[in-house]
Amino acid sequence: MSSWKEWIFTTDHKRVGILYLIGSMAAFGVAGLMAILMRIELSSIGPTITADPSNYNVWLYFHGAAMILGFQIPALTGFFANYVIPLMIGAKDVAFPRLNALSVWLFYAGIVLALLTFVIPDPPDVMWTAYPPYSTITRGNTAFYTFTVLTLGFASILGGVNFLTTVAYMRAPGVTWNKLNIFVWCTLAAFVLQLIFVPVLGTAVTLITFDKYLGTHFFDPLQGGDVLIYQNLFWFYSHPAVYVIFLPFIGVVYEIVATFSKNPVFNYKMVVYGGVFGIVAISGVVWVHHLYVSGMADWIRIGQMVTTLMISIPVGLMVIGLVGTLYKGAIDFRAPMLWALGVVFLFLIGGLTGIPLAIPSLTLHLSDTYYVVGHFHYVMAVAGTFAIFGGVYYFFPKMTGRMYHEGTARWGFWLTFIGVNIVFWTMMSIGVDGMPRRYYDYAHFPQFLRAHQLMTLGASLIGVGFALAVINWIHGAWKGEKAPDNPWGSRSLEWTTTTPPPPGNWAEVPKVAEDWNPYAYGQRR
Amino acid sequence: MFRHNTVLHALAWWALTGSAALAAYPPTGAVNDPARGWDRLWHEVIVDISVLGVIFAAITAWFVIRYRRRDPAQEGGSFKLTTASAVGWALIPTFVFMADDFYLAAKGWALWNDYRSVPAERLEVQLESGMYSWDYTYPNGVKVQNELKVPAGKPVLLRMTSRDTIHSHFIPDFRVKEDSMPGRVTYLWFYPEKPGEHIVTCAEFCGVMHSYMVGKVIVVAPADFTAWYEQEAARLAKQSAAKPEA
Amino acid sequence: MPHDTPAAPAPHWETSVYPLIITAGLLVFLPLAFVFKFVYHQPFVAVLCLGVGAPVMIYGIAGWVREAIGGEHGEGLAFPAMGWFILAEAMIFVSFFASYWFMRLNAGTWPPVGSVPMPVVLPLVMTAALVLSSITIHLGEAQLERGDQAGFRRWLMLTVMLGLGFLSMSIYEWSHLFHLGFNFETNAYSTIFYTITGFHGSHVLVGLGIFVAILIPALRGRINHHFVRTGALYWHFVDLIWFFVVSQVYFW
Ligand code: HEA
Ligand code: HEA
Ligand code: CUA
Ligand SMILES: [Cu+2]
Repeated sequence: MSSWKEWIFTTDHKRVGILYLIGSMAAFGVAGLMAILMRIELSSIGPTITADPSNYNVWLYFHGAAMILGFQIPALTGFFANYVIPLMIGAKDVAFPRLNALSVWLFYAGIVLALLTFVIPDPPDVMWTAYPPYSTITRGNTAFYTFTVLTLGFASILGGVNFLTTVAYMRAPGVTWNKLNIFVWCTLAAFVLQLIFVPVLGTAVTLITFDKYLGTHFFDPLQGGDVLIYQNLFWFYSHPAVYVIFLPFIGVVYEIVATFSKNPVFNYKMVVYGGVFGIVAISGVVWVHHLYVSGMADWIRIGQMVTTLMISIPVGLMVIGLVGTLYKGAIDFRAPMLWALGVVFLFLIGGLTGIPLAIPSLTLHLSDTYYVVGHFHYVMAVAGTFAIFGGVYYFFPKMTGRMYHEGTARWGFWLTFIGVNIVFWTMMSIGVDGMPRRYYDYAHFPQFLRAHQLMTLGASLIGVGFALAVINWIHGAWKGEKAPDNPWGSRSLEWTTTTPPPPGNWAEVPKVAEDWNPYAYGQRR
Repeated sequence: MFRHNTVLHALAWWALTGSAALAAYPPTGAVNDPARGWDRLWHEVIVDISVLGVIFAAITAWFVIRYRRRDPAQEGGSFKLTTASAVGWALIPTFVFMADDFYLAAKGWALWNDYRSVPAERLEVQLESGMYSWDYTYPNGVKVQNELKVPAGKPVLLRMTSRDTIHSHFIPDFRVKEDSMPGRVTYLWFYPEKPGEHIVTCAEFCGVMHSYMVGKVIVVAPADFTAWYEQEAARLAKQSAAKPEA
Repeated sequence: MPHDTPAAPAPHWETSVYPLIITAGLLVFLPLAFVFKFVYHQPFVAVLCLGVGAPVMIYGIAGWVREAIGGEHGEGLAFPAMGWFILAEAMIFVSFFASYWFMRLNAGTWPPVGSVPMPVVLPLVMTAALVLSSITIHLGEAQLERGDQAGFRRWLMLTVMLGLGFLSMSIYEWSHLFHLGFNFETNAYSTIFYTITGFHGSHVLVGLGIFVAILIPALRGRINHHFVRTGALYWHFVDLIWFFVVSQVYFW
């Protein structure tokens, strides 16, 4: 077989992972471009680069949907999970390599469907939430959104089945449950969430398409349907989805922080059994916090306020574990560590600004304003993306066998770090002052003009910063210095194989010592 | 033994903070304007989360500066936790966070009750939203579009529904919004204290012209309102007399 | 911890062409065909998509099964994996039932105007057929355990017949209701009725597909025990769900 065939027909988890990385970064690039277009449009009152609000709506739709479903979830549960998990548990591959290849191609099918947005007449313009009745009466082609979600969701479910089985049955001897990397635990939890909740999202979007194109009446109150069914189904998935993003990204950060402070993870069992398990346990009963202003019954809004606030407990434990890992460490500020430390600070801002939103009486003012947009960009778009970028830098030498350029990596980090704070902090502040989201124009809020212009400027900094990172990778993979097998001196299994890992990962199953664990750094006992 | 102490201690704390929050409720006063309650609670919550954030960020920053790697071979030197301290490190934060959560929940709950219990003495207006306008109907049948005129000093209740997609009636100045949608009736109320104008804007994506769906609440002196209201009613009566059997 | 390593052959990159083929088929056969038919009203193009996509996909699946039945790829784990997959499937039904009860409990009267009386006998017969088929596949598995391949094939074929019987009764019932004027568009009850029964029916179809994919090689004496166990597990699940469907949608 020639080598390109070995790539597109591959069933090897490492190559499947890299295919995921390429696809999700492409989604990120295009969705980021949409963000830039939106920012330019918003840089003046009235039409700036398009006179038709539909164009803006299509950009926003694509931006939200592609960033979440096409970039972050696939990058985290597709790329990282695929590349890293089998290596971390000492397996030769995943349990079902062919199924794995099917997942990645379904993911690409979803990306193709999403990108068709830009060529079909009447592209979808329903926002990533696609609430009916708008989504069932728009001229836009909602069916494409449905099928994008269905293919990506199916890919996720197959991935979940695959990885849960892999970790349960294919760990190398000696790699016990309590010696799994935090990243593995986090990702397993994310997959459990995917398995439970993605089908609900799939159902929700399928029902819109039924209503719109087959004449059914799920969301039509005149015939006994109810518009709120959709919102409940949608958020019943899409809230847990934020933890599908959060868990793996914080897992990546844990790996980086432990390695670069040469310290064992602080209170491992608390992190796993309190943090990860706690999040999984609560995540399914808080979705109504997205429906605080939607007209749900009062009692359910109150009840879910308490559960939503309680999410701060397991998440807080995970933050403590992370910060505790730094204590008495030997901290080395390489690029991956910079990005990871950035995550700690930015996630604190993002997570804590979720607290006011959790309180329905405050949300009556805040909901659907730029405050919400600021909250979730900090917690997801910024913390999540920083973790992904840090993670790619971290595993870069293992994946490519070469080193990236350290100086460029740092420059990229600082540019983005400054940019995101300019953009998303401003968003929160104009949100509190009443700027509603999903506005093509803000003619009746002229007081926000300066703020919007500032954000447009900040967004270009972010763009340059991320672009530097991507250029750095492409250049490094091609021309970088040769990397040693274990450049960071990590104790975790994935660094014990040669670089880049051969087919099958190890010549023979790795044997681990009795007292091995992935974080066995110079501990005084 | 250790574990029991922690639990008891935290429970006591939680009970204290919780009851303190409840004791602050209910507030007194003739009309209990939730918009003011909003500003108060907002500040408290901001202080609360800022304190938490600053503590965590400061500790992180301190560790990061304090424990830099000094020579390449250096390894971390953290202690291995004893079982008791490991459990303590899980339980104490849990109860501390939980205490804060319940405290915030109690506060939020109190304000929520203000938002949802409408004073009996009020002006009740029907609202039908549609792409892209706000159509109000007063108790006497007077209809206005996009400009809701209300008397100062009287709470206003909106009963809302929609004839097409979902909209959200957002009055930033009164710190309130609620969706309106076909097939259901939702409500919100606000308290216009002084004469003035307040923007109403649509906060739920409802279609292409979503960002242009704007209106106004015009608060006028009660006497002016009554004059306008009766004049409109009279005009309405004349109109319907002019074309009988509409 | 099960972890068997047969003597490792020289390392090489594993490949399979079928995942890509299946995806390509699926992409053309489902989204594109649907969109051409219902969005752009181009039935001819839609049929073309179906005609191209479906065979490509079936070719892909057949190739996959052929490759996998040898089982060197750890398919012994298929059984627990199917358990996880069933969890996901179950959640789809949960969403349907949740929507159903959400509507029903918020409705003034139920069933809404336009509904017709539901048949009583046929659903009971259908239930009987499905329960029987669960038993027959179980007996088939038992035969296989005992090494009786011919017996297994007989029970498997019987199961497939029962499943087909179920589906034909379902189709009969749908057309009957259609003639009474109770169709997708009648009201919220008809909407949810056809969606749930239709969706369940599609699961029966998939289950039958799995059995056919087991039966064809089995006729030539190639049987993979893990596949059989996995397929049977799925079938039991489809059977179990039917109890929820029949009790809530028809009789409650
Ligand atoms: C990765 C993604 C992610 C994550 C992790 C979170 C985390 C949280 N989110 Fe966020 N959220 C989104 C992504 C995310 N969110 C998105 C995408 C939307 C908008 C969707 C849309 O409408 O388009 C949204 C919207 C959203 C809303 C709805 C707003 C609205 O539309 O009206 C709410 C309301 O409750 C909310 C709350 C929270 C809370 C309480 C958390 C908590 O999990 C945060 C917990 C973390 C901390 C609290 C910080 C660390 C903890 C400590 C330091 C311990 C001490 C703290 C205390 C005791 C308080 N989020
Ligand atoms: C992970 C998710 C994610 C990420 C990373 C981002 C990133 C950004 N987002 Fe967005 N955003 C969302 C998720 C995300 N967003 C969601 C879910 C919504 C809500 C949608 C809805 O309402 O339905 C939203 C909405 C949203 C709005 C609200 C619009 C409105 O309500 O009217 C705005 C406005 O400024 C915005 C801006 C930005 C900006 C400037 C960035 C910047 O950080 C982006 C910077 C990135 C780039 C500029 C790309 C640079 C990359 C390269 C150059 C590499 C190229 C690579 C290759 C070629 C391989 N986003
Ligand atoms: Cu009406 Cu948005
Ligand atoms: Cu949420």
